[in-house]
Amino acid sequence: MGEREDARNEEFQSFMIGRWPRLMRTAFLLTGEQHAAEDLVQSTLEQVFVAWRRVGSADEPEAYVRRVMINAHARRHRRKLKEFLAPKDDSGLVREVPDTGDRIAQADDRSALLKALAQLPPRQREAVVLRYWEDLTETQAAEAMGCSVGTVKSNAAKGIAKLRAIPGLAEMVTQGGRG
Amino acid sequence: MSGNRENHGMTQTESDIALLLADAADGVEIGIAPVQAVMRGGRRRRSRRWAVTAATAVVVLGGSAGATLAFAGLPGEHHRTQVAAHPASPEARHVYEPQRTELARGTYQGKEWSVSVQVWGAPRNESEAARQFDRMAELGLKPADARKPADLIGKISFFATRGWGEEHVQQVMFNTVRTLESYAGTDLESIATRFSSDPASSGRLVIGMVAKTAQEVTCDWKDGRTSVARPAVGVSAHDDGNAIRAVGGFPTANWFVCVAPQGTAYQSAEVTK
Repeated sequence: MGEREDARNEEFQSFMIGRWPRLMRTAFLLTGEQHAAEDLVQSTLEQVFVAWRRVGSADEPEAYVRRVMINAHARRHRRKLKEFLAPKDDSGLVREVPDTGDRIAQADDRSALLKALAQLPPRQREAVVLRYWEDLTETQAAEAMGCSVGTVKSNAAKGIAKLRAIPGLAEMVTQGGRG
Repeated sequence: MSGNRENHGMTQTESDIALLLADAADGVEIGIAPVQAVMRGGRRRRSRRWAVTAATAVVVLGGSAGATLAFAGLPGEHHRTQVAAHPASPEARHVYEPQRTELARGTYQGKEWSVSVQVWGAPRNESEAARQFDRMAELGLKPADARKPADLIGKISFFATRGWGEEHVQQVMFNTVRTLESYAGTDLESIATRFSSDPASSGRLVIGMVAKTAQEVTCDWKDGRTSVARPAVGVSAHDDGNAIRAVGGFPTANWFVCVAPQGTAYQSAEVTK
């Protein structure tokens, strides 16, 4: 049993190391804050580790991980514990001192988008992040969110419409982002 | 993935937003995957599941031995406490002035910092709510999900605030709810933040809520050091900023604060006793 468990632990380690950067980015978009993102990914992976025996042998462990992460994110919002989503405070954006005008503008754009995302209701934010950052199909996003394809569609559409309507972001959108 | 995206049937706006999301996602510090911490946390979760099962088993056992369960009498006590806690006047219910409890205090870079919790009683009608809304605005507080005074009716508001030096206190963790959520066992909800929004303050704090029964919260920092918060009553010159405290007006949980040693950042927090 010891050897088999060691092998499973190693498998989990390499899975986690490989997925960590992407999960951090997704969590950052969902939470808008560095430490909240770390928290979310860490607690997601703890749950994945607990179930790794089953998950590791599944065809698509990523789908399970996404589901756990979205559930954890939704649960935090259901508990409705509010915290300031304040990129200027804690996200590390401020600590990266920009040295050129472009970098300042880029940091402003990021900050504006994170704020805009933070203003979306959690389900809309999840749908937008899964569809347009994770690049999931509507069916995959529906699986991750535990809802119907129609719900994903309407949440994503509402989210995009609200993002477009936010002053400043509309301008960034028309510029197609900054290179 | 998103960086390699092509326009798979997306509208121009959708693909623009996809680009902006990819750019914003790059703003996160990735850091090193904390594999060992996650595996330790996973093992604790496993054992916690057993602990929950064991506790449930005790209740079931008590239920089958009716006389033993009645002897404890705890549910009745809880009920009496709730019934008694409804004084009539808005002042007595802390509708216009919250109950304030200081959780921790210390000095950072020569300036004093503090963390407090304030709990506002539930307004019962529009006029109470309007006065509470105005009073909160005077203090620079923004209640959660309350755009107009009427949104506050029947709801308790709480705010954990931080202050550093001369600047105004800032709310860092807050909510407006019909009933306060109860915490039990090793439940813990926390945030990691700084002493201030001033970038000069890199000092880190963890503020959170735990069950009334929690005797110890251990905060792990990224450099491997830990801070331990234990129940504290009153203030003492020996306080190091780490403490678990009961908060006036908040009967369903205690609050805690952990302070990071200089030069490190938050990794995890959990109830360890």
